[in-house]
Amino acid sequence: MSTVRTHCSIDADGRITFRLRPPAATEPRLVLALRPRKGRPEETTHTLGLAPHGDDGEFRTVLEPEPRLAEGRWDVYLLAGPDDAGRERLRPGLRDVRALVDGGRRDRPSPVAVRVPYTTKDGFLAIRAWLRTAHAEAGPVTVADGGTTVRARLHGAPLSDGAEAVLRLRGGKDTLLGVPVRPAEDGCFSFTVVHADLVGDGGRVWDVFLRPAAGAPLTRVGRLLDDVADRKDVFVYPRVTEGGSAVRPYYTVDNDLAVEVTALG
Amino acid sequence: MKISFLIHNAYGIGGTITTTFNLAAALAERHEVEIVSVLRHREHPNLTPHPRVRLRALVDLRREKDHPLFGRPAKVFPSAEYRHHQYSELTDQRIAECLADIDADAVIGTRPGLNVHLALQAPEHVARIGQEHLTLDNHPPALRTALRRAYRRLDVLTTVTDADAASYRRKMRLPGVRVEALPNSVPDPVLPASDSTARVVVAAGRLVPVKRFDLIIEAFARVAAEFPDWQLRIYGKGEEQERLRAQIETLGLWNNVFLMGAATPMEAEWVKGSIGAAASNFEPFGMTLVEAMRCGLPVVSTDCPYGPGEIIEDGEDGRLVPVGDGAAFGAALLDLVRDDELRRRMGRAAVANAERFAPGPVVARAERLLQDAVGARSGGRRGAPADAGGMHHTLVSQGHAARDLARAAASSALRTVRKGRR
Repeated sequence: MSTVRTHCSIDADGRITFRLRPPAATEPRLVLALRPRKGRPEETTHTLGLAPHGDDGEFRTVLEPEPRLAEGRWDVYLLAGPDDAGRERLRPGLRDVRALVDGGRRDRPSPVAVRVPYTTKDGFLAIRAWLRTAHAEAGPVTVADGGTTVRARLHGAPLSDGAEAVLRLRGGKDTLLGVPVRPAEDGCFSFTVVHADLVGDGGRVWDVFLRPAAGAPLTRVGRLLDDVADRKDVFVYPRVTEGGSAVRPYYTVDNDLAVEVTALG
Repeated sequence: MKISFLIHNAYGIGGTITTTFNLAAALAERHEVEIVSVLRHREHPNLTPHPRVRLRALVDLRREKDHPLFGRPAKVFPSAEYRHHQYSELTDQRIAECLADIDADAVIGTRPGLNVHLALQAPEHVARIGQEHLTLDNHPPALRTALRRAYRRLDVLTTVTDADAASYRRKMRLPGVRVEALPNSVPDPVLPASDSTARVVVAAGRLVPVKRFDLIIEAFARVAAEFPDWQLRIYGKGEEQERLRAQIETLGLWNNVFLMGAATPMEAEWVKGSIGAAASNFEPFGMTLVEAMRCGLPVVSTDCPYGPGEIIEDGEDGRLVPVGDGAAFGAALLDLVRDDELRRRMGRAAVANAERFAPGPVVARAERLLQDAVGARSGGRRGAPADAGGMHHTLVSQGHAARDLARAAASSALRTVRKGRR
């Protein structure tokens, strides 16, 4: 088991500083590797040189906001020597991500690039990255009998008069449900989904999008702009009944907004 | 010195484990230190011990649950102790062997039942230090009676607050035993303190009823109504999780109150907040209060026995409100939420005032206690000066002893009656 703990801190621009004490290192490097899909080979990596900082054995490196990281989960490894053999996956020390907490308040240009350092379920340091041309950041979600109202803010694209929220039935079927949006200031908008429109035979999941302008491609509605890397079990919304079904908005494992419909009884 | 800590289970999570690891690590700078964990249920502890602190376990639950002695109730570990059901003849035996062979100048017990083992079974030359992380008043009478007998054979008894130390001195006659408060220490923070600007209230602890996270949520409803962009984050896991989740739903607070799960270490989470919250009905010390303060957060806490009142200076570096009073708790939170300058000022005061719980001062006290006890043992004496309490003290403590005996007898009789009715 690795005993090297890596401290990291991130600023509001997404610049990450890594600090660690490699046990015995010559020209140590930090390697970020995009976790491939199951069964696929690893393809994308970034390598950062580590430089001594002070005289107590600490090394540092900085991951600048550019180049942007591709969307996904990036694992963090140490290469202790000059050759590429024997890399060691790193465990987290302190993750100072306080600069991200109110990240939803600032306007983001396109593309919307997000990085959140986090601890994996098995206890290693990793970085969650999102990279989207435009992004609709979900805010407060009001769940009531009959309907759910979502307040959100569009980043990376202008919100035009023809904008609409679109719910797409998951599972390959091309079933779309358009919902009008009510625009507000600074790209903010809200929309209300009527639960009766979502229920049908058996269980189903609707993924939530925004079409920022008539004919424009769909932009995902999700919640990415704070320090919470895995939102699913933290931002939990209530379940309400509609006919013979239960309806519940939730965040997917990728922090995107969806609505789950389950048949009751 | 060679120092051994005897702990229930070093592989779990909790205040006693954290403070033991902290104290062991600090002592290891100048002494030879080991932690003996009676039980072990996993490969690695949640906290990483200091590289110079040796960690060993006596009973491995992953392998030894089938041991014939494991199923037989413990006889040395007192039956009135909270964790008696986790002890057995096997632990009795292993702890006895461990103490008989121990190569230490001082052994530190970290809970009542283990202090009893220490008092009865440590070799003559070993200094016996019992630590109480709970409080005397909260112990059931039968346990108090058992401890009253055994604790006389300790050299030092430490409590985590002055109030509890006073209680032991008043209610137990322990001639020759030095009774003193030794607060838990919290390591120096590594990260810069909170700048008090985040719209986040942070609470942390095991999600169990006594911690009253429900009261914090109820109180926070008032904050959310007035300041909808403020959040309450609750870190920890436990049996109350689902009930708290339901409460959040009932109060319609799912956009403001979040159950974050467990976080270790908490430091990086505290600094995301600008106010700490603790609402326990009972808190022998209150490690999380000190942790939050050292990270620059003023803490709103209930004034429960005994910790918070000895940690927080009400109105200066935090707020103390009556136990169980959700309205008062909400009002105290709102005072801090409304007033950025007050929050900043109290946050700065919290950092300064909580420095007395830094390892430096606490470890110096512990070291002095240990050295005195070891010195006295090697000189054939005991730890404390002669009993200064005199006749009055004797009478008072005898009165408490008699009452505890009567209560213990009554409650055991009641149990017998209840069993009979089943």
